[in-house]
Formats: sequence, C-alpha cells, structure tokens
Amino acid sequence: MALRILYLTVACALLAGCSNNPHPPPFREKRADGTPWQASYRPFPDDPRSLDPQFSYDTLGHAVVSLVYEEMLEYHPLKTDPYELIPCLADGMPEPISGSDGTLAYRFRIKRGVYFHDDPCFSSGKGRELVAADMAYAFNRIADPKVECPVLSTLAEFVVGLQERNDEAKRTKSFDYSKPFPGIRVIDDHTFDILLLKPFPQLLYWMAMPFTAPVPREAVEYYDGRSHDGTIRQQFKFKPVGTGPFRLVEWKKGLSLRLIRNDNYTATRFPTEGWPAADAARYQAMAGKPIPFLDEVDFRIIRESIPAWLLFRQGYVEAAGLGKDVFDTAVSARQELTPEYQARGVWLYKDAEPSTFYFQFNMQNPVVGKNRKLRQAISAVYDVDLEIDIFMNGIYLNAQQLLPPGVYGYQADFKDPYRQHNVEQARQLLAEAGYPNGYDAKTGKQLQLTLDLTVDDAESRQLAEFEKEQIEKLGISVKVEENLWATQQDKMDRGNFQFTASGWNADYPDPENFFFLFYGKNIPPEGNNNSRYANPEFDRLFEKMRAMENSPERLDLIHRLNAILTEDCPMIPLYHPVAFHLSQPWAPRVVLNPLVSNGLKYTQIDVAMRKQKQVEWNRKPMWPLAGIAAFLAAAGMFAYRWSQRHG
Amino acid sequence: MNFPLWIQNLAIFLLAASMGSAFWFVARSPRWQRATRRFRNDKVGLLSACVISVYLFIGLLDSVQIPAGPHRDRTALDWMFHGIKRERTYSAPLASTSYSATRPQPLEGRHVLGTDVLGKDVLLQTLKACRTALIIGGLTSMIYIPLGTLFGVLAGYYRRWVDDVIQYIYSTLATIPSILLLIAIIMALGKGLPQISIALGVTAWVGLCRLIRGETMRQSQRAYVEAARALGQSHRQIICRHILPNVMHLVIINFILGFSGFVMTESILSYLGVGVPVGTPSWGQMIDSARMELAREPAVWWNLGASACALFFLVLALNLLGDALRRAFDPRGSSVSVSR
Repeated sequence: MALRILYLTVACALLAGCSNNPHPPPFREKRADGTPWQASYRPFPDDPRSLDPQFSYDTLGHAVVSLVYEEMLEYHPLKTDPYELIPCLADGMPEPISGSDGTLAYRFRIKRGVYFHDDPCFSSGKGRELVAADMAYAFNRIADPKVECPVLSTLAEFVVGLQERNDEAKRTKSFDYSKPFPGIRVIDDHTFDILLLKPFPQLLYWMAMPFTAPVPREAVEYYDGRSHDGTIRQQFKFKPVGTGPFRLVEWKKGLSLRLIRNDNYTATRFPTEGWPAADAARYQAMAGKPIPFLDEVDFRIIRESIPAWLLFRQGYVEAAGLGKDVFDTAVSARQELTPEYQARGVWLYKDAEPSTFYFQFNMQNPVVGKNRKLRQAISAVYDVDLEIDIFMNGIYLNAQQLLPPGVYGYQADFKDPYRQHNVEQARQLLAEAGYPNGYDAKTGKQLQLTLDLTVDDAESRQLAEFEKEQIEKLGISVKVEENLWATQQDKMDRGNFQFTASGWNADYPDPENFFFLFYGKNIPPEGNNNSRYANPEFDRLFEKMRAMENSPERLDLIHRLNAILTEDCPMIPLYHPVAFHLSQPWAPRVVLNPLVSNGLKYTQIDVAMRKQKQVEWNRKPMWPLAGIAAFLAAAGMFAYRWSQRHG
Repeated sequence: MNFPLWIQNLAIFLLAASMGSAFWFVARSPRWQRATRRFRNDKVGLLSACVISVYLFIGLLDSVQIPAGPHRDRTALDWMFHGIKRERTYSAPLASTSYSATRPQPLEGRHVLGTDVLGKDVLLQTLKACRTALIIGGLTSMIYIPLGTLFGVLAGYYRRWVDDVIQYIYSTLATIPSILLLIAIIMALGKGLPQISIALGVTAWVGLCRLIRGETMRQSQRAYVEAARALGQSHRQIICRHILPNVMHLVIINFILGFSGFVMTESILSYLGVGVPVGTPSWGQMIDSARMELAREPAVWWNLGASACALFFLVLALNLLGDALRRAFDPRGSSVSVSR
C-alpha cells in the first residue's frame, strides 16, 4: 500500500510539472533589487553561421552580433524619413577633415568609459576599456584574407591601405597584426582618423555596420578553437566579445542562444527625441533612461513557421512575423488586427523595408537591350497592383522608382509614365518598337522573350505564371526559365539572360547604394550592375552624386539619375516590401526604424502581464479528460454487467 | 517548331484513329478473341474503360486547336468553356465574390469548382490537366515499352552473355533510387513534357524487362518454340512470330498499370518542383499549391479537391482495367498476380 501511495505521489508530481511552456527557466528569477528579471523569448529561424562581426553578412548573424557588438555610429531607432545616423561608441558625429597634403579623412572621438564584456580572455577577467587601437585592429581584420570580410573590395576602394594590406598578406601568406593599419591614424587613446583615398560620405553608414565594430585582440587570440591545458576553447566566431548591451552566455546549437545584459554598458541611452507625437507619453517615460531594459534575451531556434506562430499564440514568444500562410488569421481585409487579436491586446507593426524589387533587362541582349520602346511597353502592360493584391496580401508598396521610401532622394509624388498599367499605351509602344500585336513587323513571327526566374516552390511557380501571363497580354510569347537560386545568380553574373526579376535591400539608406546597381563600371565581374546598363551621362552624374554630402544640388542629381533610368527603362520597378509583425501586449516594440537590428536594447516587457496572459491563453480544456473518464466508466460498467450476466 | 494548325489537328486525329484501329484489330484477332469475350462480360472492366475513354476524350478536346482570331488559337476545350470569365484571384465554388485580402470583388460569373490564385476556373484547369497526364503516360509508354520488351525478349531468348549484359544494366539502374534518378535526368535535360517522359521512360523499362525476360524464358522452353526451331525458323522469326505474341498480354497489362504510375509520378515530380513547366496545367502542381492554400485562413480546398479527385478516378480506373485485362488474359480463368 505504501508503495502504491508513493507511485501515486510521484505520478501527481510529474503531472503537476507538465506545462505547455517549452522554455527553460530564465537565468534568474529576480534582479538584485528584487524587481522581476526581464527575460524575453524570441523565435529565431536557425543557428547563425558566424558571430564574427568582420565576417557575418546575413540577417541571422547580424541579429545577434548587433546586440553583442556596437559600432562608432548607429541609426536613430525612431526616425525613418529620412533615416538618421547618431553617435554610438563615438563621442559625437565624426568631423570630415582635409589635410594640407590633400588627404581626406574623418575624425572620430571614442566615448570614455566604454568597456568590453568581462571575459576570461582578459588577464583579470574584467573587460578593458575600448581604445582607438581596437579600431585599427578591426580594420586590420577586414584586410586579413583569412577573415574573409565580404565587404573588403568595397571599402578597399576608398580606405587607405586596405587593399595593400590584403595584397601583402596574400603574397606573404601571413598577416602581420603588429604593423599599424595605414588607413587609421591614431591621435590618442580616444581619437583616431580614418584616411580616405577619395571622397566617400557613405563611410559614415559603413561605420554603423557590424563590419567596422571594434573587437578586442585578446579575444580573437584567446578563442582560437584549440586545446589549452586539456580544455578546448571555442572559435572566436562562436564566442563573441564586444562592447554591446548584451553578452552571449550560452549557445546550444539548434536549440537556443541566450544573451544576458552587460552590466558595464554605458555607451548609449534611450533617445530623448524623435518619437511620433501620438506616442509621446509612452516614449517620454523612457527618454534618456539607461538601456538595455531587458536582463535576458533568449533566441529560441524554431525552424518552421507554423510552430513559431503557435508559440506566439500561446504567449511563449514575444514576437512573430506574419507569413502569407497565417496572414489572414490575424489581419483583416482592412489591414488591421482581427477582432480576436485585438481582444488579446496584440500589437501590429507595418514595416516598410528599404528594398526595391524590379524586373531587369540584359542591356547587352540584342532584342531587349537595344529596344527601349519594347522595355517601356512591358513596363506599361504589367499590373503591379494586381500582383501585390494576389501575392503580397495587398500590403507591399507599388514602386515607381528605384529608391525606396526613406532613402534620401525618394520622390513620394513621382509617377513613372511607363508604369501606370495602361494596356493601350503598352500596345502603342510595342507597335513603335516594331512588334505590332506582338509580331515582328519585318518577319511576321511572334516575338518570344525568355524570363529567367527563381522557381523553387509552389508560390514562386504561381508568381512566375502570373508574370508570364501579364507580359503575354501584349501578344508576345514569354518562356519562363525556371532556375534554382544559385543558377539564377550564376546566370545574372554571366549575363546569360534576357530579362529577370531581382531585388535590392539597402546596405545603407543612401541613393548611392541603389544607383550603383546601374553604374557602368560595375558591370560584372567588377560589380553588381547585372543589367549591364552603360550610359556615360548616367555614370557621370552618378560619380558626381556619390562624392557629395546631402544637399539640394545632390538631390537634383538624384532626380536626374532617376529620370534617366525611367526613360531608358533598364529595369521596371515593381514594389517595395512591407513586412507585418506582431508583438505581444506585454512587449510592445519601441524601434520604428527597420534598419536597426539591435532594437532589443530599447525593448522592455511586463513580466506580470505575460504570466497572467500565458495562464489565460493556455487553460487546458477539461472536456477531453471528462470524455475519456466517461468512456472508461461506461466501458467498466459494461464489463461489470457482462461479467455479472455470464458469470 | 510550330506546324500549321491543320497539320497539328490531322496528326492528332491520325494518332487517335490509329489507336482505335489497333484496339479494334486486337479485339477481332483470333488469337485474343477469347480474352475479348471475357473482357466484354467484365462489368468493372467495361466501366473502367468507359471512364478512361472520357479522360481520353477530354485530352483529345484539349489537343485539337481551333482558330480564334488573328494570331490566336485555342483548343476545343477552351472553346467549350469560353463563356466562363477569368477572375482576379481565388473564389470558392459557386461564390459571388473573389477571395482577396484587400479588394474582394464581385465575380464575373459562377464557377462550379471555384477559381485558383490567378483567377482561372478550377474545373477547366482540372480538365486541361488530363491532357498533360495523358501525354506523360502515352509518351513514356512509347519509350519504355519498346525498350523493356526488346531487352526482356533478347535476354530471355538468347540468355548467356546477352542476358548477363542486360541484367547488369538493369540491376545497376535498379540500385539507384528512382526518384533521385528521375530528378537528376530532368535537371540535366531541363523541364518539359518530353523531358519528363524521357526521364520516366529511361527509369521505367526495368520492371517490364524483368517480367518479359522471365516469360520469354518460360515460353522458349515450350514445345511450340522447339518445333519452330526444328522446322529451321530463324531466331528473328521465332521471336517475332511466336514469342512476342505470347508475351504481349503482359505488355498490355503492364502498360495499363504503368500508365497510372506515370500519371502519379508526374504529380509527385510537380510536387517536388521538378515537374511540368510554368503555365502547364497539372494535377501535381495543383496538389503542390494546396500545401500553402490549406494553411490559409479560410482554407482554399477546392483546388486540391478537384485535382485529387481527377487523379484518383483516373488511377483507379486504370488499375481496375489492368485487373480486368489480367483476368481476361488468364488462361485458367483464375486470378494470378502480375507484378510490374
């Protein structure tokens, strides 16, 4: 009997421990001052490849790197029109300086009292202060061929010494880190200049990207992936040590990454201006306060979108993207939350991404490249609104130009005269192009074009069919070449296509980062001008615009560049993506700028509300248990009666 | 290559006529009269043959081109459905408004099985996919049946090194997972109905070859073949006049059962993204699209329902016909399992 009671007790204890909550307990329950420990759980689609800031160039890597490392500058988290750079590790914005010898440079001053994370790589285990030499070291790493920095070639065009150091390392097959980096002139421990080969105002944007984040040499050398005294140390790319608001304390591959608040963090505070007037009360409560507000960020690796969505519904993750498959569950036809989600108090955010998707023509192709009217006709016949309605839930922005909203030079009221979905105009242009009704006026043969697309799933196949049918309204025949992503990229690099669909996401919100896609000197293999568009006038204006600071004169140049692209039509702008995101009622998002990837340093959560909502949303229905019990009772009764009758 | 309209249509009619004549000739042939008589009494078989005939007829309708204005042709099936308007996007069966996130709009007409993402009538798309299925099944059979029969008869009749070589080839092919081999061949040849048929044909002859090889071995030991040898007939004559006619019933049954397999394989390949090209109606692509359509809220089920039903009834009819033919050809009048 005692044994039975014991079994029953153990079973009850196990049952009591059962919960829907899939997460391990937070690092701590309470802070030192007794207030609740703010742990935020976020879905994360996969393990990052690397957390080395000089190497990582993907969204997943940046999501973690930007919390662990910081750069000299960063984007204002609340300003989007236009986007604005503000100092982060730098003490004030850098000053452009020109030396008497004609050298160009930017002078940066580093904030005092910025410390690297406490880590065993430092002799005392305590993080040391950030100094100018760390920036020189970071630039040396960019030049080091072993680091494989993906932006080396771009920066090497402008920063003194990058290319030479890289060439020298390749020649000698080793990189001498004891040599000072020639492109950084260290004035004192907290002041340095970056020396430029030619004017490059976009350098400031690069100084807000993880590639230029300072890293401590001690950490790179300590975390070498080798065995020391019988203990294997991790590689630096898996053990980041930075100056950022969080430090990585645990990475369980395929499961989670856990980051804890950096108690030494003092570099930035919550902004004191820039918020929308409608939300002033909420933002004013945080203005000027030390950040981060969170104590712990737990990225939970959930590879499938549906489980991530279900966890959001249960309240176990704080945020969720709205994919096409669940879009209509949460968002109504008026692009507002459905009543169910409104009742839950969920927050809906609509983020216009600084990206543009477009069709691009191969300008070296004898058919489409040499016939501007034909390109304009295709542009005029295409119904982008319908595509957005059918395939993008009606939320993307119809693009009329290459530049997306928020980028300097974007013209909100600009209408591309060949992009107004006018079938009559398109037919007229096609006739002027020499193909009345889609047939060659000389040979009488139907015009056949080949559209190269990445087709790797049902949705991309449906989209390809839509695009084919739209253009075939002209009477021409369109053959869709279905490619895998890698094949498509390869064809674009080699110029082995007639026209194709493509897109560009801003590295930084400067028009240079879009117009360079059509710059004559960027034709592959030199660059990303996959259209092979070469227009001397465009190139001249681009070179002039690229070297200028924002000004009315620069704005005029940008508009002229846009006008040239519109008339020449080497590409047909389609749309600017808009992403819908949801946040739980206890974790409203603070950041408004989609270029900010370290938004979690501004976020805070209401732990009590989360606990209450999780209970409310995960009440276990009793009817299945009651049903099973009733069934068992009925079966028992039946068995009893049967045994009574049959003895 | 584009042939004039009348040549295309003539070719289709000739193909249909030659197929019909072949069936009529076979049915009246004294050699297979007993089987024909048995088949006529098999109600399930006859019903299956009727269902398949309907599919064939629909496929034929979608193959016959008729002029529809300058520089435009359309198929007879399109002509029959010309009153049905194209919508903007999804609409449920018999619904009155389109299924749109931002702009639900009144429909141009009613659609019995609704419309797909591009606003196409699902009933018409389902019927048009018959042609794709029939082309895949027909073209593939034209490739694998001669290959499998020829190699099977040669291996079973000549044996020794001929048998060894053929066995080596098909054993090697059989060791490669067929779906991987199919995908590899399609990747190499590119997408398209002929390419898929070639890939299926190259991988499908092994089963038939094994079957025919075994049957040829059995037949070649029988007295009538020994007698033909004793009379001094050549190998070619023995194979063509005696062996082949006696294994043809297996070929026919294998063709019928294989046909359904190819239709399903096309659907699987489309599901895996290596099926028919963009713009070609296909049950596989309709089923593939359903992966995300079913996850929508509310779910789009009619595309999957229509394509799955069409595929199901064709495959069922083909299998039942195969069974009926096996029963008809069975000399003992009892069931004997025939494997592919």
